[in-house]
Formats: sequence, structure tokens, C-alpha cells
Amino acid sequence: MNAGSPSGRRRFLRTACCHCAAWGGLGLGLAHAQDAADATIAPRLERPAIDTDEGGLWAMMDREERRLRRGPLVIRDEALSTYLRDLVCRLGGEHCTDVRVHVVRTAQFNASMAPNGMMQVWSGLLLRVDNEAQLAAVLGHELGHYLERHSVERMRDLKAKSSAAMVVSMFGLPGALVGLGIAASAMGFSRDQELRADRIGMQLLRRAGYDGREFPKVWENLLAELKVTGGEDAGRRSVLFATHPPAADRRDALRAMAGEAGGRLGTEELERVLAPHRMDWLQEEIRRGQYEESLALLSRKLARSDDPHYLYARGEVYRLRNRDDDLPPALADLQRGSQLLKAPPELFRSLGLLHQRREDAAGAIGAFERYLAAAPEAGDAGLIKTYLKELKP
Amino acid sequence: MKRLIILLAAVWLAGCAAVVKVEGEQVVRNRLSVQLPSAWNRIANHHEPFELWTQDGAALDQLRFWSGVKPGEALIRTSFTPAGQTAPRVPTFAANMPPDQLVSMFEMLFSADGSQVKTDRIEPARFAGENGVRFEFAVIRKTSELQLRGVGWAAVRNGELFAATFTAPQLSFFQRLLPKAEGVVATARLR
Repeated sequence: MNAGSPSGRRRFLRTACCHCAAWGGLGLGLAHAQDAADATIAPRLERPAIDTDEGGLWAMMDREERRLRRGPLVIRDEALSTYLRDLVCRLGGEHCTDVRVHVVRTAQFNASMAPNGMMQVWSGLLLRVDNEAQLAAVLGHELGHYLERHSVERMRDLKAKSSAAMVVSMFGLPGALVGLGIAASAMGFSRDQELRADRIGMQLLRRAGYDGREFPKVWENLLAELKVTGGEDAGRRSVLFATHPPAADRRDALRAMAGEAGGRLGTEELERVLAPHRMDWLQEEIRRGQYEESLALLSRKLARSDDPHYLYARGEVYRLRNRDDDLPPALADLQRGSQLLKAPPELFRSLGLLHQRREDAAGAIGAFERYLAAAPEAGDAGLIKTYLKELKP
Repeated sequence: MKRLIILLAAVWLAGCAAVVKVEGEQVVRNRLSVQLPSAWNRIANHHEPFELWTQDGAALDQLRFWSGVKPGEALIRTSFTPAGQTAPRVPTFAANMPPDQLVSMFEMLFSADGSQVKTDRIEPARFAGENGVRFEFAVIRKTSELQLRGVGWAAVRNGELFAATFTAPQLSFFQRLLPKAEGVVATARLR
């Protein structure tokens, strides 16, 4: 650890809470197919003494949490915060007073848990979960890491390895690669820790009355997106985490743990609290430019609900990808969305631009006029008005 | 031992970006000329397909120029892809891109590292003597959470893209340096 430089310190702090890189797409851990109910839940954690290594880590994470709270990436929405706090209380019982959930604006799928009780949930994760049970599964898994104090174990492991990394990194590129390997082994939780977190997560999920079968679906959905760039072996192959078991195994083990009892889904509750943010998060997803991954996500969403926001997003992704065969599905989505109530103004912008490309002047004029009527103060109104001038005879 | 230290130092320094002072007339990749009324710092070996200049350091402000980008060419360097995997999509210029798609391409460029990008103004404008587009945007940099403001210009001539962007921290730097950057961009001409 290079505590002297801000970037070095930041990197170290990130490793101290970025456990669930697993959620971000790298296969970690293997959950055994045994009854989740046999895991025991730890009592409330005492704050460690400041003169211990664990106390020092807590203090550093407290500072990092203050920085996060003040920063521009955290989403400040009282209704969403209350909802997440209530969800953690439903899962974690007496631990909920010690855990704080922060929603961070980042389009990728990830969640992390720091030893001091700071949990981060990325907006890309909230966009991807289909119901409260799936979100509860992720939060339960993160609570599992917290309850078992996995990050403290990991920090001690990291401290033991960092001196070795410094030595090897002195020797240029080969050394740097070895250093990377050491960093990789330190960045993620061990396979046993992931197993424990999965089991505790499933236990908390089922105890709170949710359908345990939703937990493996989180993994299954993520795997489907990963296959876009990683191919069929996406969950198996990873440069950094090659020693860990395949992602598909984890999904299968979770399926076995979930049982058939069923339970609460909470689809409407999640939908209600996320609705005000969905358009922003969809725009951020589109801006990532990873169109194939977005199409996998949006097609999954549209298989469940004919929502004009998802229709806009998928139509826009097809329009931006602009392959020869993308025009018909883009048009179908945008036209379908334009007929639905609550179609967002951006849908008409996208539809107008698509008609313009198809040289359908009347269609483009109609869509652009609806866009400007719905969003007269839009930042690109000037450009759209120029297009309208060119289109009108 | 001394030789070894010198050799290691040379290898280490080779990885650093070279900064060169530039002023007067400058030609970007043989196709785009600009006049610099005052000096800028040119980052010489950053391995990206754009020209990069700065006033206060590339970690803060960046004036970038792309010149003569052909269809199929990316706006940034493509990263290494492990065998058997599909490379992540990178912002790539395509033939017949209308202005709105040019702007989307730059949004993708600035959000490629996970940063948050929001374009708040797009309007027709002239760039390098050609009809094109001007856009304004905000970036929250993922790595540092630094809040940046940005402005970009793009135009297509004979199927090739010419473009410039200027980004700087929203607090103080952007307002102070924008007139300088705009002054340079206003002199851009195709050769």
C-alpha cells in the first residue's frame, strides 16, 4: 500500500470494499448445494479499537464514506434511500442500524460492502434486477460478507502480499504482470468466502419471505450479458480469476439451494421506487456504447413488460448501432412505443431521426414536432429545428 | 551496477509522456492547420489517434484534435482483447453519420472509462470552414470523481471526420481556459 500518494491510497481503499468484482463480471466462488438454513448469523459487530488493524481499516473506510457522500456520483433520493434501508432491515434484522446503502451512478453491474457497514450499489445493478427479491439477493450476499468480516481477512492477506508485489514490480513488465497476479488474488474474495456469502445471502432472503429462486436468476441474467463479449465460456474464462470456479457452477449451486418453496417477488415495489431514475439510467446504459450487451438486457426487460422506456432504449440502441438489418427492429420498437401512454420525449427524437434516415420526411416532421412540443427546452432543440427547416418544402 | 541503474531509469522514463511547447501555426496530421496565439503544451507520445494539447496538464485540461478520420477508424486506441473474447465496442466513425450520431460517438468516447457524460446542448455550427455541429457536455470522471465541462466541434468533409474537443474542471479552469481553446479552434482550416 502506498498511503503517501492520494491515488495509491484511493486504490487501496477501493480494494478494501470492491469485493464483489464478482458481480461485475468475473466468476468468483462456488456455492455448495446444501441447505442455506444451516448458516448461523453473527450478532451485531462491535466497532474495533482504533489501534488495531481492523480499527484502522474502519477509520479509513469512514473517511472514504464521507468523501462518497459529498461526491457527485452518489444519488440523493430520500424515497430510494428509505426503501433500501427498509430492505436491509428486513434482511439483516438488528444489523440494519450498522449498515448504510449508497446508490452510485455507474452504468455497470456491481455492489460492494466495506467493513464499517458502507454498502455501495451501482445504478447499473438497479437497472438490471427485475424485482425486489433479486435486489434482496444481492444485498443479502453483501451482508454475508459484512457479517463474516471477510474484508478484514482480505486486508491481512493483502498486507502480506503487498511487499512481494513491490519487489516484483521493480523489474519492469514481467514484474508488473506478476504484480497483477498478486493484485488479482487480493482483489476478490476467496472461493470459501463467496460460498459463505452466498449461503448467508440465501438464508436472509428466504427468512425475509422472498422467493429464493430469484437469486440464481441474477447470476443467470448477468451471464447472458457476459456471453456477448466473452462467448459461451464467459463465466469460465478470465485472465485475472482463472483459478476460480466457473460462473455457471455458482448459478447451478444457487438453484439447488433455492428450493421450490417460492415466496415474495416485490416487482411493483421495486418498479415504483426506481421509476423516477429509469430514464437517466437507460441513457447512461446507451452511452456505454456496448450495444450488444444493452440489447441482451433490454430484450430481457421487454419480454416481461411492454414499457415505452425500454422500447425507446432498444430502438435507440438499434438506431445507433446502425447495421443494415437494424433499421426494421428500431422502427418497430419506436413506433410501438410512440403509441403507448407515457412515451418519453426522447422516443420521438429517436423516431424522427430514424424517419429522416429512411427519407420519410412526413414521418420525421411529425416525430420531431412531437419531440419539441414535449421538450421545448431540450438542449438539441436548435439542431432539431434545423432538421425541420431542411425537411419542410 | 551504475549501468544497470541508468538502463532501468531510461526504460522507466521511456514510459513517460513527452511534453513539447507548441505555438504559431500547427498542422494536425497533415490535414488540419490551426494558429496558436499563445503557447500550448503538446503531449507527444500518448499513442492515441488524436492530437493532445494542454495548458495546465493533461490530468486537468485537454484540447484534442482529430483530423482526416476515415470510416471504420476509431476515435481512441483499441485495447488488448484476450483470445476467444469479443473486443468491447469503441467509438468508431462511420460513413454518412449525421450530426446527432457524431455527438453520440463523442458521448461514448468520454464515457468509455465508466465516466458519466451528459450532453446538454447541440447546435449546428461551422468547424474548420465546414458545416458541422457544436456540442456542450458535462463529465464526472469515474477515476477521480472530478467534474469536468466540455465542448466539442465536428464536421465531415469528403467522407472524413474532422473534430476537436476541449475539457477542463468545471470549477474555475473551464471558464478561464475556454476562450483560449475556442480561439484556437476558430482558426482551424482544412489543408
